[in-house]
Amino acid sequence: MITKAPITRELMRADIAKMLHMQPEEVQDDDNLPDLGLDSLRLMKLVLGWEEAGLKADFGLFAEHGTLGEWWQAIEAQQAG
Amino acid sequence: MRAMGGTPLTEAQEGLWYFQALDPSNPILNTGQYLDLHGPLDEAALREAVARTIAESEALRLRFRPVAGGAMQVLGEPPELEWADLSDHADPEAEALCRMAEDSARPLDLAAEPVAAFSLYRLGPDRHLLYERIHHLALDGYGMVLVTNRIGDHYSALVNGTSVPVPFPPLSRADEADAAYRASPKRAEDAAWWRAAMQGMPEVTGPAPGRAVSGATFLRESRWLPSDLLAVLAEWSDAQRLNWTDVLTALTGAYLSRWTGGEVVAGLPFMVRMGRPIARVPCMAMNVLPQRIRPDEDALLADWIAPLAAEMREARRHGLYRSEQLRRDLGLIGGARRLYGPLINVQPFDRPPGFAGLEVGLHILGAGAVDDLTLTFRGDPISGMLFEVDANPGLYSPEDVAGHAARLPAFLSAALAQGRLAPVPTATADEIASAKALTAAAVHSVPDTTLTALIEAQMEATPEAPALVFGDVTLSYADLDRRSAVLAGRLAELGAGPETIVAVALDRSLELSIALVAILRAGAAYLPLDPDHPPERLARILDRAAPVVLLTSPELAGRFPDFGQTDDIADSPASGKQSAGLTSAVRSAVQNAARPRMPQCLLTSDWPQEGTAPATPPQPGNMAYVIYTSGSTGEPKGVVIEHRAIVNRLLWMRDHYGFTPRDRILQKTPATFDVSVWEFFLPCISGATLVMAPPGAHRDPTLLAGEIRSHGITTAHFVPSMLSAFLAAPASGGIRMARVFCSGEELTAELRDRFHARVSAELHNLYGPTEAAVDVSYWPAAPDDASNPLPIGWPVWNTRLAVLDVRGRPVPPGLPGNLYLGGVQLARGYLGRDDLTAERFVTGPDGQRLYATGDLARLRHDGAVIYLGRSDHQVKIRGLRIELGEIEAAIMGSGLAREAVVLAREEGGDKRLVAYVVPQGRWSEQAVAAHLEARLPAYMVPQAWVVLDALPVTSNGKLDRKSLPAPVFAAAGRAAETAAETLLASLYAEILTLPEPPPAEADFFALGGDSLSAVRLSLRIEEETGRDPGLGAIFEHPVIAALARVIEGGATTGGLSPLLLLAEGDPAQSPLFLVHPAGGLGWGYRRLAHALAPARRVWAIQHPGLDPDQPLPESLSALAADYARRIAGLVPEGPVHLAGWSVGGVIAQELASALADIGLDVGMVAALDSYPADVWRAEPDPDPVSALRALLAIAGHDPEAHTELDTREKVVGFLKAGDTPLGALPEQVLDSVVRVVTDTSGLVRRHHHRPHPGRLTHVRAGLGHGDRHLTAELWRPHGEVEALEVPFLHPRMISPEAVVLIAPMLKAAMDRAEQRALPQAAAE
Repeated sequence: MITKAPITRELMRADIAKMLHMQPEEVQDDDNLPDLGLDSLRLMKLVLGWEEAGLKADFGLFAEHGTLGEWWQAIEAQQAG
Repeated sequence: MRAMGGTPLTEAQEGLWYFQALDPSNPILNTGQYLDLHGPLDEAALREAVARTIAESEALRLRFRPVAGGAMQVLGEPPELEWADLSDHADPEAEALCRMAEDSARPLDLAAEPVAAFSLYRLGPDRHLLYERIHHLALDGYGMVLVTNRIGDHYSALVNGTSVPVPFPPLSRADEADAAYRASPKRAEDAAWWRAAMQGMPEVTGPAPGRAVSGATFLRESRWLPSDLLAVLAEWSDAQRLNWTDVLTALTGAYLSRWTGGEVVAGLPFMVRMGRPIARVPCMAMNVLPQRIRPDEDALLADWIAPLAAEMREARRHGLYRSEQLRRDLGLIGGARRLYGPLINVQPFDRPPGFAGLEVGLHILGAGAVDDLTLTFRGDPISGMLFEVDANPGLYSPEDVAGHAARLPAFLSAALAQGRLAPVPTATADEIASAKALTAAAVHSVPDTTLTALIEAQMEATPEAPALVFGDVTLSYADLDRRSAVLAGRLAELGAGPETIVAVALDRSLELSIALVAILRAGAAYLPLDPDHPPERLARILDRAAPVVLLTSPELAGRFPDFGQTDDIADSPASGKQSAGLTSAVRSAVQNAARPRMPQCLLTSDWPQEGTAPATPPQPGNMAYVIYTSGSTGEPKGVVIEHRAIVNRLLWMRDHYGFTPRDRILQKTPATFDVSVWEFFLPCISGATLVMAPPGAHRDPTLLAGEIRSHGITTAHFVPSMLSAFLAAPASGGIRMARVFCSGEELTAELRDRFHARVSAELHNLYGPTEAAVDVSYWPAAPDDASNPLPIGWPVWNTRLAVLDVRGRPVPPGLPGNLYLGGVQLARGYLGRDDLTAERFVTGPDGQRLYATGDLARLRHDGAVIYLGRSDHQVKIRGLRIELGEIEAAIMGSGLAREAVVLAREEGGDKRLVAYVVPQGRWSEQAVAAHLEARLPAYMVPQAWVVLDALPVTSNGKLDRKSLPAPVFAAAGRAAETAAETLLASLYAEILTLPEPPPAEADFFALGGDSLSAVRLSLRIEEETGRDPGLGAIFEHPVIAALARVIEGGATTGGLSPLLLLAEGDPAQSPLFLVHPAGGLGWGYRRLAHALAPARRVWAIQHPGLDPDQPLPESLSALAADYARRIAGLVPEGPVHLAGWSVGGVIAQELASALADIGLDVGMVAALDSYPADVWRAEPDPDPVSALRALLAIAGHDPEAHTELDTREKVVGFLKAGDTPLGALPEQVLDSVVRVVTDTSGLVRRHHHRPHPGRLTHVRAGLGHGDRHLTAELWRPHGEVEALEVPFLHPRMISPEAVVLIAPMLKAAMDRAEQRALPQAAAE
């Protein structure tokens, strides 16, 4: 169910939307994902899938930064560093 | 670090601060819990763990300093862990819980003492309780979880020697998040989203009626949800790809919607933390999101829960917007208007924390205010879930709370099992079983016989005993036997027999009683007719019922001109029998040929002297009587009651109340009311004596009291309103009887208590429609009965009382439903109207025949039934019951409309009648209104008319009520021009929900504004201009152009000027002056003034002492003389009209003389529930607190209902929370009002009346004055008095509801006064 292709922001958005039974365009960069129903169990499943696909990021920051925009920023920062 | 001067409150804190500031003594915001620690505790580690947690949680050190308009928060000294060893106590646990309860119940001084407290109670070597109490302003529920878990983490780290967990982020993050949101454009977007989401929201209610504002305590019932329910919840949610939290919320909402009319607006606590920088900050951030839940009872669960879950997700997207702000946006201010009802609080994270080496239990003591009902689910389906019902004890009893706690889990299980809501009753299986048990208990063996047989048996058993008394004539049972037998024989000759009808139109007399017995002995059913009814109605009933004989007297025969005398057919005495011998087809043909059918008329003067009863006894299944009741369509309906039914009713009554031959029963009810049935026949089957009151006596309390005394009456029946009048009559004092029965209207607790204070007798409340043999339920209203409301009680023998919801499902105690009746007493149906019979006599869910009473009822927890009113096409506007169908019929009757629909629309919190018409003919609003005014009470004439080309219909052809447009309360004139006018026009439109800004001449109050919307207007003006115009300015200058001048810097007296123009009107007509009540303000008269304008100008006279610089008057006469001069200055030539409420009426009476003194003519002088000074002289002068409490009455509240408001702060707080302008008065005006109340009360006590010129029109508050007997009579010593009355309490006399009745009275009184003043003109 989780994609194996290299992770992009749009792929993450699609995965999140699928997990929440929403359309990808309904998940905005500044939407607080826990507000949309992304609880810790669902988040864990997503992160496992992304890590399998080769993404490395500090997912601890998700607790205090719950938007896709913030996540992607952190991922980009990590990749740059 | 926080700034030295402190930090402002966050928006999240502001709402709580406002609540606490209203009542600083309310401790409900002390949230508290304790951990039950089992095992060997490392005490040092615990002390250290608590100290470290406190040190890193700034919120626990907050102090709150009040400043203008709110509070600043600063950091104070941290709290310290208290330590108490209770192991020596007999019951250490109880002692610990008691200390916690004491601490939690203590109001905090938030400026001076710590918001938090921690205590450890040692119960024994291996058991400790760790108590935490934190004020909600500092911490929300999740903050409490963070702090508690943190103590556990520190403890475990200390005990295990592991590393210290990452510290909490600083509290400043909460302030930053608050400031960021306040500044972001998102806030305005969210506001707009919420406004749209709440568009058309229903009036918010909870399961219990009443004012939902949290008190100091709450009731709680908690239980663990069964694991199989949790498993089904989790599985079902997963299968439907829904979050179980959403499913739980949705189904709980569905349960609540059963209690709130199909839609509930629930409050959903929202943490506002996850995924945000404040996720781990101990602080107050929680919001409550209003969620409208309107489940589709017939759909599959997923079909309505999935869209609802999407809606809730969308709402959380806008969940930072504070609900307190939304409540203000929507104008839902004031105690009775709410944004949401019960809370549904799903808290998956709330689990006991981990303490290394210890077993821990978590116990929540209090989680903040409980306005209504809070349904909390703590935990998750895997770890288990605790379900708590917290309830406001002002609204719910402990039984109610236990009921909800038991019912909701059963409802959840049943709904998930059924997959739909429709098959799930709200009542539990246990509750349904209890109702069945009550019906089973009412089963009683009754002989299968007839009323005729029972009467005949009694006449044979006690021939010498007195049967009937009328005046000074007494008939024995033998006399009754003989005379009724003779008449029965004659009736049989005329065709009477089983399944035939004999009509009776006789005044109360021995003959009436004999006639009824004779008809039954002939085997026929009797049909009573009221000779006073309009002849058309009588003729229609006779035509429909087709009686074989009409029994009447020579005096009354003239009412039935079409009926032939029996003399015409006396020559052929066999004619009746012949007719009976014909086949029904032939008989029907004969009857049709003879239309209009004429029964034979038998006059009392023609009764035979000799003869014997026929041998045509009725069977138990034959009809015994037919009584006509009025039908909603205007066509009377004949209810057919069979012998079996009435026998059950009479034998129950005889046995249940122990009637004996010594009883003497008063007959005073007209025979056309079914109550008379037991009056007539209960004596005849008990061997008792029937005493017939003289005709008309049932309306004369004094005459009745005389009858009861002189005839030694033991049993009498009263309709409650008549009982009230009877008790008020001096003659009723000290009467003794065995028992009094009430039925026909609601018997109130107040009347019960008044009864027992005055009369020595049992009092019994009976209930039943004509369709079920007189009465089906009973309640002993004994002196020690404290029920309020007083129930209609328990079923009589072989009777079932079923309260079912609209889908025929049983309802639990407390939930209103429709009352259905079952059992042996049900009528056969409506004579000749099988269609109506099928409509009302239905088959119940379990196959039983039931009668749908059309009455609303609810069950008490003990199963007794409480009557709540009618369920028909009725609405209540200002407390008055209105049949919308009746108004629609009247409009159609005018011939001016092709179609008409009348609705009660809610506009700005006020319900108004709006008529939608498709006009025809010479339509005009004036013409149709005039037509209605001639036919309907004034309160039933619509306030607005909307003309449409066609009424909107839905796709399936039904009227689409939602598409009917809101009416426009029109105003004409020049458009707003200046900036201030334009602003005001848009604010008027916003607050009064007008389609477009009104013109510059528009009057706020004429457009439908009231004092509450005026408060909102003043707030909005302040928001927009930064300048508070003062509420009084709106009262003084309600017209846009004038108010604009005030805003632009013009002068205003703040609405306190001694003469305040309340409503503009025709200057050529005599003006009306409304004199202020005790408080000196005349604002409360605004509604009354608008009801009497524009026929004339209406002014308020206000006390000059409202200006603190003005001296107070020496006497009431001096005050009145001052008012007279002011009036003369304004209106040099009379006449003028005067009226006043309460003290205002006392002043008006004196003012009439004062005006006469200076030569000004006075027209009407009206006093609204005012009483002369003599009544008050003995009362002590009011102290400041009672003067303040008088403000409650001035604001329209009953002070006696609010004895808890005993300080200035409480009274002011209550007024501020309520929807009255007094709450919005500036402090110094409030001080002036108190000064004026105190002074004026003293003036009244020292006043001596002089005779008033002309007539005093007195309108009494008819709902009484506590234990005082105050009437217009008290004014008689001072002059001529006209006594009127309206059904309200004193404090409500100028309320919108009362104005509807009082304004027409005053208008008529002014017209009469003007007629009197112009006798010559009238004579011409």
